Amino acid sequence: MKDIVRGAIIILFISGILLFINMKLNEGGGRGNKNTITVYNWGEYIDPDLLKQFEEESGIKVIYETFDSNEGMMGKIEQGGTSYDISMPSEYMIEMMREKDLLIPLDYSKIPNVRHIDPYFLDLPFDPDNKYSLPYFWGTLGIAFNPTLLEGQTFESWDNLWDPSLKQRVVLVDSARETIGMGLNSLHYSLNSTDLDELHEATNKLKKLKPNVKAIIGDEVTQLMVNGEASIALTWSGQAADMMYENEDIDYIVPEEGSNLWFDNMVIPRTASNIDGAHAFINFMLDPEVAAQNADYVGYSTPNLSALDFMDAEVIEDERFYPDEETRNHLEVYRNLGLEMLGHYNELFLEFKMDRK
Amino acid sequence: MVKLNKLPKIYLTTVFLILYAPIFYLIYYSFNSGGGMSNFESFTLEHYAAVFEDKRLIIILINTVVVALLSALISTAIGVLGALAITFTRNKSMRKAVLSLNNILIVSPDVIIGASFLILFTMIGIKLGFISVLISHIAFSIPIVVIMVLPKLQEMSPSLIDAAVDLGASKRDVLTRVIIPFIKPGIFAGFFLALTYSLDDFAVTFFVTGNGFSTLSVEIYSMARAGITLTINALSGLIFIITVALVIGYYAISRKTKSALVGVRK
Repeated sequence: MKDIVRGAIIILFISGILLFINMKLNEGGGRGNKNTITVYNWGEYIDPDLLKQFEEESGIKVIYETFDSNEGMMGKIEQGGTSYDISMPSEYMIEMMREKDLLIPLDYSKIPNVRHIDPYFLDLPFDPDNKYSLPYFWGTLGIAFNPTLLEGQTFESWDNLWDPSLKQRVVLVDSARETIGMGLNSLHYSLNSTDLDELHEATNKLKKLKPNVKAIIGDEVTQLMVNGEASIALTWSGQAADMMYENEDIDYIVPEEGSNLWFDNMVIPRTASNIDGAHAFINFMLDPEVAAQNADYVGYSTPNLSALDFMDAEVIEDERFYPDEETRNHLEVYRNLGLEMLGHYNELFLEFKMDRK
Repeated sequence: MVKLNKLPKIYLTTVFLILYAPIFYLIYYSFNSGGGMSNFESFTLEHYAAVFEDKRLIIILINTVVVALLSALISTAIGVLGALAITFTRNKSMRKAVLSLNNILIVSPDVIIGASFLILFTMIGIKLGFISVLISHIAFSIPIVVIMVLPKLQEMSPSLIDAAVDLGASKRDVLTRVIIPFIKPGIFAGFFLALTYSLDDFAVTFFVTGNGFSTLSVEIYSMARAGITLTINALSGLIFIITVALVIGYYAISRKTKSALVGVRK
């Protein structure tokens, strides 16, 4: 009995010391300080030095938390219990959060830096007039490929994927909107099509792709491409950038027929307790030099036009990540199609996945 | 102990190799100076330095350890009492009911436990953070401790208690000098199991973290979305070493208690 009690006391003692160290590390504000903001962001999606810089410039302490899916993030905001002041959902999630009345409208008098954003990325259908959100990073959906494994073959259009020489080589992403969208795009239909005939046509076309499909998977594709175990993948530009960083042979294109344009955006959730601080943070992140530094660190494309002046010419001239006017005109943003339509997409995707030939 | 012949030995070795290979592969690349896990360039400790430089990561690591230690401690205390209550309840159907309720908690999915805790905490107004994570970890560890302690109690012969009472032991003496020393291995096993459960729980913790409090599992899940960086490897390596130390500590303690049990206790 004695040694159990002793063990318990030792554990309590260790916990006490650790808690004390934690408090020391947390110093310079802490939860008692009113002037803090809580940022809820994707993992590895900000340069940590910028958080320090913001704390020094504004005197506002940043509590930083991360999530790994839009849905998980919304669940926590919807339920309350925490006071997130800033979050970075993707565009379709903003539409859903708007419908559920989870967002606070932005006060533009506190965000003068909004003038730096490329107008091309403003006033999009998921948030007209940018009432609730401002873009943080953006990117495209396209084809990543490794020419050294493909006898030098390159790609320009979605139709290239149907080439009979690519048997068992194409890796698709396990997501209905993306895959069905590829079928729609290759037929020059809208990504947000709600026309069932068009959707069936797209699915039938996808079924003809089946012999070329090696696998339908999620994020694991990055490692497969890097290791050279896969040679062609349908993927997002950010993921492609990761692949290219680790394996120089890999290339990425946005097909000429058009593709998906995606966004992650800064919003102020209803749970916010420091709305002024949240605006200050948004304004800070839109500062051209800050945005440039952040884009350098994260590796995604920034929507900040003035930031481009502070970035490597090599990066911003890379049309794979900063596509030209012509390609941009073919890009399309996902709309929230409603549960019923999403059900159709999922059903058709399932049909495609189960189809064997 | 029956001696193993060759075939089971080979089989066991293979199983262990397969189980440990990914961990050692991960740790091996945590010393890689190159950016990724595809080819080893040269030896470096920079990823470990990166872990220690990242104040936020250190805070989260400490959070994780503190929650694990405290929740394991408290749930062991409650779990042992629970196991005693289950064993010494006279009413048989009552005993069965409590035991079944306990087992249901063990098999019920973590996501559901997590979501219900989130709803409960926001409903009764507990702020999400250290306290909410601690409470939920205690809650899901208690049934495990109960399960670990129960067999020891059932193993114990009732005549042991009778003898103690006959010799004039008070109720308190019976508990602290007879029962607890006898079930000590079970208590330690329960404690360490609760510790590991708390360390690696993601599903429940994700729901109940908030207000700047986070644990490693939640952090690593969000980091992994941007691809596994070698910092995660270094961190995993560190945790692996901590775990090995814990297991060695467990064996040291349990051996000590075993030898103590053999000797005469005052």
